[in-house]
Amino acid sequence: MADALHDQIRAFILENYLFTADTSALKLDDSLLGRGIVDSTGMLEIIFFIEEQLGVKVKDEEMIPDNLDSVNRIAAFVESRRKAA
Amino acid sequence: MDLVASLSAHARATPAAVALAWNQANWRYADLDRAVSCVRDVLRARGVKSGERVALLLRNSPQYVAALYGTFAAGAAAVALNPLERAEVFARQIRHSGARVLVADPGHAEFERLRAMLHDVAVTLIAVPTPDVPDALEQFIAVLGAVPEASPVTRAGNSLALLIYTSGTTGRPKAVMLSHDNLVANARAIVSYLALTPADRGLCVLPFQFSYGNSVLTSHLVTGATLVIEDNLAYPLRSLQRMSDLAVTGFAGVPSTFTLLLTRCRLRDYDFKALRYVTQAGGAMTRTAIARLREELPHTQVYVMYGQTEATARIAYLPPEWLDAKAGSVGKPIELTQVEICDSAGQALPIGDTGEVRVRGPGIMLGYWEDPEATREAVRDGWLCTGDLGHLDTDGFLYIDGRAVEMIKVGAFRVSPYEVEEAIAQLDDVEEVAVAAMPDELLGQAVKAVVVLRAGAQLDALAVKSHCRQALATYKVPKVVEFAAQLPRTMTGKVQRLQLT
Repeated sequence: MADALHDQIRAFILENYLFTADTSALKLDDSLLGRGIVDSTGMLEIIFFIEEQLGVKVKDEEMIPDNLDSVNRIAAFVESRRKAA
Repeated sequence: MDLVASLSAHARATPAAVALAWNQANWRYADLDRAVSCVRDVLRARGVKSGERVALLLRNSPQYVAALYGTFAAGAAAVALNPLERAEVFARQIRHSGARVLVADPGHAEFERLRAMLHDVAVTLIAVPTPDVPDALEQFIAVLGAVPEASPVTRAGNSLALLIYTSGTTGRPKAVMLSHDNLVANARAIVSYLALTPADRGLCVLPFQFSYGNSVLTSHLVTGATLVIEDNLAYPLRSLQRMSDLAVTGFAGVPSTFTLLLTRCRLRDYDFKALRYVTQAGGAMTRTAIARLREELPHTQVYVMYGQTEATARIAYLPPEWLDAKAGSVGKPIELTQVEICDSAGQALPIGDTGEVRVRGPGIMLGYWEDPEATREAVRDGWLCTGDLGHLDTDGFLYIDGRAVEMIKVGAFRVSPYEVEEAIAQLDDVEEVAVAAMPDELLGQAVKAVVVLRAGAQLDALAVKSHCRQALATYKVPKVVEFAAQLPRTMTGKVQRLQLT
């Protein structure tokens, strides 16, 4: 399901790592690491994006693939943190 | 005794000692030796002869190590392809090196595109997956298939063992040729100053396809120690936890590795009692970062080091007890190695004067592959001209003061501005382009491009970056693309890259 949050996350990754606005270039479930879309530094930038643009603080122990390795996982993580707040 | 012979010796003496630790499997010395023999036999059965090249496109994994040492064992030379690159670059390097065989991971993101490009290249493809599973060894051997055992291969110490592609100052490919003697001499020098023993467990997250990662790999296997393998640092907490769980004794990083760890992680929350040392090479790390690292890891020794692929890996290291007295220095030459500072005519300069760093010793490369002209420029009378500027103090400690050539250093990766310029110049709308370094908080430097468009052309920054991503490794893609009416030039018309940032 793609809502505004999913769109925002996908747009960020498309613009910063795939350099395109074509949404078909990135599926919501694509592994960001497995497909070679981001590397270690890219993952750090995604964390900054989550913190600064989406307003959710990422704790050290939350920096795991389950929370960060696809658009869907990032969106689910952000939603759960926003609800908990 | 070269690297393969010493691996076999460890396999006989301590067959059950763990050589490679991955997440789901440990490969003991006997296991690795078996896998290496299997690769050797398959390569010989496919007709690979001594001195021929075998290209490897495999991520950091036990399979990569087995393929590398198996290639050495077959008397062939490995071409270590950097998995971060794109299919076009792999195809170019396979052609340039004249590789007979390509051992590649079908799970690599560029595998299918590369395969499609190879139809006109006489290269045999051996697809080897790199799954991180408990029975990875059995799968590896099954994939390679049963072949008759090869007759023993003799390897001359000074024969070609490894080709590592580096960013040259021109657009053409440049591959450093390292011999078996180069590899073993540099590995042994590292073992000596780090005092590595079979009890050591070093974690390597650096790519094996570059000289630093390769040196971590070879120095551990030559000692009979354990190498703990990681293939990325995208989830640093997980890697740190693993370091603690496995009681890792050594860790190798580049400045951006440590910046990442110091920015995002609380190192003191982990149990790192076993961590004897960390090493840092691949560019200068700030004194502040070194001080913070020592603060976070009070029981761990920090080795600041200096090296170059053309010298196999290591040239100098700073013994940790000198970190304060010689802050900013990269230390003294490793064993059997000498460093001199020279002027542009090759004359040695007085102590304290800044000039080009030149190095002599058993790690100096054979030369650049099929490029005698570049080799003559780089190695003169046995001395490697590093292109780095530096000076020595009265105690013989070396300080690096800068690069003599316009190379960009993104993290620890060298990026040639020319390579990025050539990629951008392929776009029809581009009249001309210049590429330079810009400061970057995390990586030290990032790539910046200034583009002059043809009259009437419509091209935005995203399109330039998108094109670069197709053609170049991600770390080479400009972080910033600016458009200008003209490029800054000298009176003679030479583009002034330093004026760009």
